[in-house]
Amino acid sequence: MTARTAEQNRHRQARSLLAASRPSWRAMAPGLIFGILSGLSAVLLLGSSAYLITRAAEQPPILYLGLLVVGVRAFALSRGFFRYLERLSTHDAAFRALGEVRVDAFSRLEPLAPVKLGPRRRGDLLTRVIRDVDGLVDLPTRVIQPLVSSLTVVGLTLVAVLWFSPLLALTLAGLLLLTLVLGTLVTETLTVRAERRTAGLRGDLADEVVDLVGELDVLIAYDAVDAQLQKVAELDARLRREALIGARGAGLLAAVFSAGTGAAVLAALLITGPTLQAAVPLGPDVALGFGEVDPAVLVTLTLIPLAVFELAAAVPLAWSARRRVLTHARRIAEIAPEPAPPGQPQPQPQPQSQPQPRLPADEQRPHAQAQPTSGAEVRADSSAGCVPVLELRDVTVRWPESDAPVGAPLSARLLPGENLLITGPSGVGKTALALGLTGFLRIEGRYRVAGEDVGGWSPERLRREVCLIEQQAHIFESSLRANLALAHPDGPEAAQDAELEQVLRAVGLWDWAQTRQGLQTPVGMFGALISGGQAQRIAVARGLLSGARVLILDEPTAHVDPETAALMLEELLGATGPERSVVLFSHTPVPDRLINSSLQLRRA
Amino acid sequence: MKPLDPRLLRYAAASRSFLILAALLGLGQVTLVILFSWLVASILARAAAWVGILGEVPGTGSGALLPELAPALLGLGGVVLGRAALAWAVELAAARAAVKAKSQLRRHATRALADSVAGSEASPRSRDSAHAVTVLGSGLDALDSYFSRYLPQLVLTILAIPLHLGVLATQDLTTAVIVALTLPLIPVFMALIGFSTQAAQQQQWRRLDRLSRTYLDIVEGLSTLKVFNRAHRQRENLREISDQHRRSTMKVLRISFLSGFVLELAASLSVALVAVSVGIRLIDGQMDLAVGLFVLLIVPEAYAPLRQVGANYHAAAEGVAAAEDVFEILDDDAAHQGRPAGESLTPVPALRGGSVDLVISGLQVRRGEADVLQGVDLRARAGELTVITGPSGTGKTSLFDAIMGFLPSRGEILLQPHGTFSATSGLTGPQRRELIAWSGQRHGLRSGTVEENIAMDQPRNQDLTREVLDDVGLQVQLDHRLGVRGAGLSGGQAHRAAIARALFRARSLDCPILLLDEPSAALDARSEEQLIHTLRGEAAAGRTVLVISHHQAMREAADHLVQLSPAYAGAPR
Repeated sequence: MTARTAEQNRHRQARSLLAASRPSWRAMAPGLIFGILSGLSAVLLLGSSAYLITRAAEQPPILYLGLLVVGVRAFALSRGFFRYLERLSTHDAAFRALGEVRVDAFSRLEPLAPVKLGPRRRGDLLTRVIRDVDGLVDLPTRVIQPLVSSLTVVGLTLVAVLWFSPLLALTLAGLLLLTLVLGTLVTETLTVRAERRTAGLRGDLADEVVDLVGELDVLIAYDAVDAQLQKVAELDARLRREALIGARGAGLLAAVFSAGTGAAVLAALLITGPTLQAAVPLGPDVALGFGEVDPAVLVTLTLIPLAVFELAAAVPLAWSARRRVLTHARRIAEIAPEPAPPGQPQPQPQPQSQPQPRLPADEQRPHAQAQPTSGAEVRADSSAGCVPVLELRDVTVRWPESDAPVGAPLSARLLPGENLLITGPSGVGKTALALGLTGFLRIEGRYRVAGEDVGGWSPERLRREVCLIEQQAHIFESSLRANLALAHPDGPEAAQDAELEQVLRAVGLWDWAQTRQGLQTPVGMFGALISGGQAQRIAVARGLLSGARVLILDEPTAHVDPETAALMLEELLGATGPERSVVLFSHTPVPDRLINSSLQLRRA
Repeated sequence: MKPLDPRLLRYAAASRSFLILAALLGLGQVTLVILFSWLVASILARAAAWVGILGEVPGTGSGALLPELAPALLGLGGVVLGRAALAWAVELAAARAAVKAKSQLRRHATRALADSVAGSEASPRSRDSAHAVTVLGSGLDALDSYFSRYLPQLVLTILAIPLHLGVLATQDLTTAVIVALTLPLIPVFMALIGFSTQAAQQQQWRRLDRLSRTYLDIVEGLSTLKVFNRAHRQRENLREISDQHRRSTMKVLRISFLSGFVLELAASLSVALVAVSVGIRLIDGQMDLAVGLFVLLIVPEAYAPLRQVGANYHAAAEGVAAAEDVFEILDDDAAHQGRPAGESLTPVPALRGGSVDLVISGLQVRRGEADVLQGVDLRARAGELTVITGPSGTGKTSLFDAIMGFLPSRGEILLQPHGTFSATSGLTGPQRRELIAWSGQRHGLRSGTVEENIAMDQPRNQDLTREVLDDVGLQVQLDHRLGVRGAGLSGGQAHRAAIARALFRARSLDCPILLLDEPSAALDARSEEQLIHTLRGEAAAGRTVLVISHHQAMREAADHLVQLSPAYAGAPR
């Protein structure tokens, strides 16, 4: 895909996302109708007040003005009232649509986890997506609603003006068009140009501020504060210069609208003034004839542009809101592209078993091989007739966008209840292998679970048998119970208290939970109310509850000191019981008695 | 929220001149609005009179109307141009003032932050780097709309209401009274609505907050949900949460939109009241048409600035919140101005290059409001590798922060020339820092080449840089360019680079003391062995090497092992 088509594709995706975040016209109809009524009320309030006052100056019998007085009061009330209803119904429709957008964004993110949403990028990225999704609510409330309702009211008003003076209606339309074009396009161009001017500097300055503030103690310790402050100050001065140049466009919009409004008032006076005729006295037979301009009509036509231009001022604001919404949509589409339509073939991260015809199966090869440690050898031999629960032969994994496999081919056999330790320096592909074994990454080579080749299995089925215990499993802001029950093979509802107690006892959390609120113990946002060790144990308890045959532990002790780590490993591996097998990834040494065999991952 | 924080005027000079400029321009705007309304009203009234509205003069033909009105129309054209120019000028001034004020605040705040951390006086909130980065980076941009939309309207409100009222009073006292009576009703009603619904609002906002957190929670936990084949079940759940979210939000909005409703209603009702009362007096012949029209045009203008302030309230609130975060940093520093300078018996350069023991007695360290360490005694001798261990949370890092002068402490931290008992020197934190090469728990690398990161502000020395990189077993090109926060190196590599940086400082400046916090946390066994070898070498060269570590290998290599137990940690207060 070339850069150009990729750009077009992103644009298309952003548009489809926008289309999805727009409520249906049916849902938006009440808001639009209320908005139009409110706008019409504003125009009519001014118009009827002006007409009333001018007619009153003719000193007609007060009886004939009664209807106008009622009209003025009614429009004054209805303007605010309809505006309130408009805002409420528009927001309601927008939030309804937002619910769907959230689900849509979730569906887009789902295929990315966990491979493309690594723990490092996770927090920042997702917070951004959520903020962008919330920003889409502006589309109906700040873009569509003001555009549709104000343009409709402006159009209706111009039609009314047409009745009295077609030339004035055309002139007003022309002035409006000119003002809007100048107001939107020119200011848009100027704003975009100003932003482009400063965007790079802004980013650089932000980076320097991060480097200054983020590691202030390092800078102080190395006497480098002044130099860094100097760097920030220099960038700040450059940004200030550019931003001041960019600011020249500010206020152009206000000036254009102010001039447009004044010009419209002048045009009304100049065009309708010469056609002015004496008024027919207000009475039962008064009529507003086509093209007839009496003083009351002249006053009304002169003041109406004030209301029309005030309404039209919403258009440029809506236009710039549109640009912001489009940016939100584009960012979401960038991070979380639409899943490919079901018709197209998509590389599924399915484990695949490939025959390797070049080498006889039993030939000794110089790559990594399970080295039975003392004590494990006897058991491994005596259970030779037993079906291994996990069997790997020449297995390699690769990251989605990479051609080269991570690490050298790997072979291993694991009997029920056995624990296998896989070590290796960082960067050798331990996490990739853990993801491959649980169906998140494509695996090549022979991979069997309980004697059955997993090539034809769906990733979901594989994960029911081989369960990943993540390095930093997510702890949901809920009860201990809910955090465990989500792992139950038959769904959270099926989890019995007795089962939960059993797994909690196994990981050594039961007594602790009893001192709190038992299964109802809250764990806090991101597990804020529990320690890191407890979070790790909850993750293992989930694995136990899931009923998987094999548990994959990815660096469970990465963030604790060695003494605690040894203790924790002993507890975790003790908790898995005699029938469950464990594949443990670790870069720190593990006591021999805890494991049956170990092997070392090497670079490819 | 205060309408205008006086600290903004104090810390950002640009805002002072802007307020004066905005007041002058606002005065011009109000004058032109009055002139515009008066011209339009009088032109219309003369046109109406021309065709004989009151039956006085029989129309002499409307063809001659325009020449008659030409001077007034020309004047109107001039006023229109003037209004457009002033509208431009106000926003231009606001945009320029915002740019300048942001730059001033950022400069002051970065300097203040650096000073308060260096002088161990920063509040914990200011020390929170993520918070500070947001405040000084994108946070300040919230001031844009504060300057462009809120402040000018605020100034205009103060100026326009009395001016408009005064002009109205000279023309038509009744209208002036109506406006003067309805205007104060707006803030009163808004306050009443706000007051009576505050509790309900806050409860709603709390629920809202919880709901959006649930959404975040589900999205953050996506990987875990997928591990247990549970992700697809979440869509219904999300839909349900979003719907709850919508219902709670609407409850809040129903109330908060009420204040906008009151504003609109007050403005339009007063227009209606004035129009009807003017109309009735016109019928009675008590008033000129020109005055009636003028009044009709001025009344909405009297309400306009107040409506604008209300409409831009949120923009203003965001700007104020952002400014307050900056003021907090600046206040922090201002409160600690005039620190006592430390008295030093031995000049700092005299200790450099020599061997120095680090002697600590009765040390008490505070972090924020709490004591994190109490009564710590410790002696680290020159030529020895001293290793500090202890369970996490006992304040090992705080001890280093106190030695470095990043945290306030009481008790003694003395640098004693090795082999002497006298001539100990009471140095201040900044003075001690000159004699110490330190590496903290986080690597603190920044954008620039590896060489720049190792040498920091010392003169470049490629040979020494290569030497220290070799000593920590890091193979990397000297001109390898790193991104922000050292992006481009793996965690373990970055950590080793940070140790190399400390070694570079120790050797190039002849610092007698080397402090390393958890240097082997991210190292494998072989690299750790190499590091221990290097550190033993530093000790042999006469340096005082003090290391925090709980790795077995490091503890075995120590000449002197200090167990920091929780007993040292501050008792709960």
